[in-house]
Amino acid sequence: MGFVRFLLSRILIYILVIWVGITTIFFIPRLMPSDPVEAMLGRVMSQGAFMEPEQVQALRQSLIASFGLEGTLGQQYVGFLKRVLLTGDFGPSLAMFPTPVMDLIRKAIPWSLFLLLSSAIIAWVIGNVIGLLSGYYRHKVYSRILEAIAVTIYPIPYYILALILIILFVYIKPIFPLSFSVQGKFPSLQFIVSTVYNSILPALSIVIAGSGWWVLSMKALSSSISEEDFVRFAKLKGVGEGKIMGQYVLRNAILPQITMLALVLGGVFNGALITEILFAYPGLGTLIYTAVLQADYNLLMGTISLSIIAVATATFLVDLLYPFFDPRIRYR
Amino acid sequence: MRARCQPVTLAFLVIAGLLLGACAQLVQAPAPSLPTAEATPVVEGRLTEVGTPRHETLILDHLDGRVDNPTQFNPYMSGTRFNQGYHQLALSNMWEMNTVTGQQFPAMAAEMPEPLNEDYTKFRIKLRQGMYWSDGVEITSDDFAYTVDMILNTPEFGYSGFLKQVVKSYKVIDRYTIELETLRPEPRLGYTLGVTVWGDAFRLVPKHVFEKAENPATFNFYPPVSSGPYVLKDVDPNGYWFLWEKRQDWQRTDAGMIAGEPKPKYILVRFYGPEEKRVIAGIQHDLDIFTDITPESWDILRQKNPYAKAWYDHFPWANLDDPCERGIAFVIPNSPYEKKEVRWALALATDIQKVSLATFAGMLRVSPLATPPIHILQETYHKPLRPWLIDFAFEDGYKPFDPDFAVKMAKTLRDQGIEGIPTDEQEIIDLFGVGWWKYDPEKAAQLLESVGFKRGADGKWLLPDGTPWRMTINAPANFEVQSQRLAYAVADVWRQFGIDVNVQAMEAGTFWSSWSNGTFDAGSYWPGCGVAPDIYDNMVSAWHKKYIVPIGQPAPGNAVRYESDTLSAILDELSFLTSDDPKTVELMREFMKAWVAELPWLPMFGTSKFVPVDTYYWTNFPDANNYYEGPWWWWSLFKYMVPKFEPTGRR
Repeated sequence: MGFVRFLLSRILIYILVIWVGITTIFFIPRLMPSDPVEAMLGRVMSQGAFMEPEQVQALRQSLIASFGLEGTLGQQYVGFLKRVLLTGDFGPSLAMFPTPVMDLIRKAIPWSLFLLLSSAIIAWVIGNVIGLLSGYYRHKVYSRILEAIAVTIYPIPYYILALILIILFVYIKPIFPLSFSVQGKFPSLQFIVSTVYNSILPALSIVIAGSGWWVLSMKALSSSISEEDFVRFAKLKGVGEGKIMGQYVLRNAILPQITMLALVLGGVFNGALITEILFAYPGLGTLIYTAVLQADYNLLMGTISLSIIAVATATFLVDLLYPFFDPRIRYR
Repeated sequence: MRARCQPVTLAFLVIAGLLLGACAQLVQAPAPSLPTAEATPVVEGRLTEVGTPRHETLILDHLDGRVDNPTQFNPYMSGTRFNQGYHQLALSNMWEMNTVTGQQFPAMAAEMPEPLNEDYTKFRIKLRQGMYWSDGVEITSDDFAYTVDMILNTPEFGYSGFLKQVVKSYKVIDRYTIELETLRPEPRLGYTLGVTVWGDAFRLVPKHVFEKAENPATFNFYPPVSSGPYVLKDVDPNGYWFLWEKRQDWQRTDAGMIAGEPKPKYILVRFYGPEEKRVIAGIQHDLDIFTDITPESWDILRQKNPYAKAWYDHFPWANLDDPCERGIAFVIPNSPYEKKEVRWALALATDIQKVSLATFAGMLRVSPLATPPIHILQETYHKPLRPWLIDFAFEDGYKPFDPDFAVKMAKTLRDQGIEGIPTDEQEIIDLFGVGWWKYDPEKAAQLLESVGFKRGADGKWLLPDGTPWRMTINAPANFEVQSQRLAYAVADVWRQFGIDVNVQAMEAGTFWSSWSNGTFDAGSYWPGCGVAPDIYDNMVSAWHKKYIVPIGQPAPGNAVRYESDTLSAILDELSFLTSDDPKTVELMREFMKAWVAELPWLPMFGTSKFVPVDTYYWTNFPDANNYYEGPWWWWSLFKYMVPKFEPTGRR
């Protein structure tokens, strides 16, 4: 009964968060100084197609209908909710009119998931392993060296790391391709190999930049837990170092890291904007960049709504799974 | 034991589920499916990243960046892109432009349109015989008729509205001849339905393909059937590259008949990403033609790649003949810009030499007229009107023109140690322009005071109603770097003059929306364009009062909303003249004089384009010493240039 009440309350909060997020993302772009219909008309006319005013008006009406901008703001909002919630339809992209926004997102998602999911998990694993070792053996020299490396890397913005990697491995020692270019068709070996090969540098920039934070946070947690009485007691009792580190320290320190990981994984749906642009990577970050550049607010709403849903879902799942990781927590 | 494994198992399942989801999406990613793919034979030398022999492949930079909808080739659908090689290689127009002579020439048409009456409302149009679509079907007047009907009957096409203003009816006379009746006199029909600058929206489509489409408004036309000498061979589903292959029957295209055989077997149009990556590609000989880079990048490229060549072998390096001039435009109905005295005051408060140096280190040609200072137009308008500009005076006798700008700029640059600056005055004028307005802040102040402006206690200008004069200049944020830098440079000199000026950098969508709707005070825009001596089309759209709409509505033309009976009357008179009528240029010069007297916007410089090439694999690109065409790699005329390119033999 406790679990059912807990689940219902979490589902309610989950739906509420998504509704507030989507509602906000519906209204915010409408406060932007540009109107997608006028931007579209401006672009058509700036390319040399001169039209009589009545032709402009006819085109404007047609675009207003296509973009779902007919009626009052309230009517638009109701129509938007119906379309999005019932059919997941965010309308056509303005920048790539008339391609539906969902088609563009569907194409970009796998690339962002592949890059960010794998690099986020790799960074998490590496960072936590190093952090655990340097926190548990905090008085050793190598622990201090590892910490110093992490402290040095952590504040470097990931796009600076990306640029450094490009200079090192594309220009000075051209091991990796200059720009993203996948060969073959999925699921051929050629496709998989070239995808991995093309993704190494962007992934490396994210892994290096991401690991720094995980190292520092895990080190802080594990060194603090290592000082706890139950750890000292275990040592006095003669429990092996490996077991203390793995089952006493790690299991206690890992909980906040899992929470953060879930949020990071939710954020995967934002793409890695600057990394994707620097490496010409075709993910969601590039899509969001295009949406902002072109004042394409259907696309903006689509990509950001996806991100809201992903983060809310990740949080929801963490809430549900937490008791499995921490026996002290119960569904109430 | 089982209980301890549970969290790990669960976490593994969640992660595995997410990864599987990602893989499932990858399965759905569209893959190119084009019919012309063949097994690539084993060849000596380097291969390109797409597997073609490097020495047979010309690699062209993509001006527009990534194409998000890489399989959309319907030329009339909104959002279809053309600079990825499509209109340069696979689409031909009825009439094309030679930018060296400033003359149009018949392309798919066999000759220029033949007027059949004195009103210029009936024309005979003949198609070139022997042209075929890339799928082997002959191009005939049926394709022309079908294209016109399709556009007129598909209101979803933005171009439909335009063509409805032009075409009244047509008659197919025979397999290659059409008679066209227009709704209004069209003495320049070649301009209306042909290329004048970058390309033209009127492009024939293959009837036999489009008539099978369920709805032309949503038909993607992929893979496209080509009327040009190349055909799409492969495309990156992510839109970063497009590979074009020479047609085996290239002779059966207008470009083949006019310009001959193109040497590159493949043309790869590639977007490498930000400018620094494009420069790296150039240094590594992976990019033969750049579409646009900054002067700073050119400096790096020429130092690192001895095969890199710019338009000039010395200063100013860049090509100065881009057909749109840059400057500061105002929305004229917005106070205080409706006053001629204010616009003139701003001109005289501009230290144009300082602006030139701050914008592009002085590598710019000035223009005081409404038309760009490109070679042809400088000879047609700027130079012939220079004596008039020197004598031009305000009502009080003040002469605002400074004919010595070029000489002074040459001296400044020479003093800076810049090499390659000519010493002959005519050459200096050819390089830096015929002159611009004087830098005379005192006269500028006098003009402002004459219409009620005052200086405040802090020395800053107050509007006639006593409030501070604040101005925001719109500038492009991440594109058109020259206009962006120009905005900041002008803001700087106007601030020194005492105006509270702010620059607002805007992304493309907002920038153009603001321009079209007239929702700005001032902006770094470029309404002055032109290539050929007959600039009527450009001027009528920019300055005729019939295009004025209220602020807040997108303007179909005349975006600065300047209402002038004098200018409109001259344009009306010009509308009945043909391009080759001697009166056209004569009357257009009168237009320029009337325009200068009113100065509705402040043109400053022609556009300098850094469009270098790498001559490692290919050579005989056009340049200042080999000027067979301008370096307009992203224009439709590119297909007539390619046959001149020669392989160097390097592998």
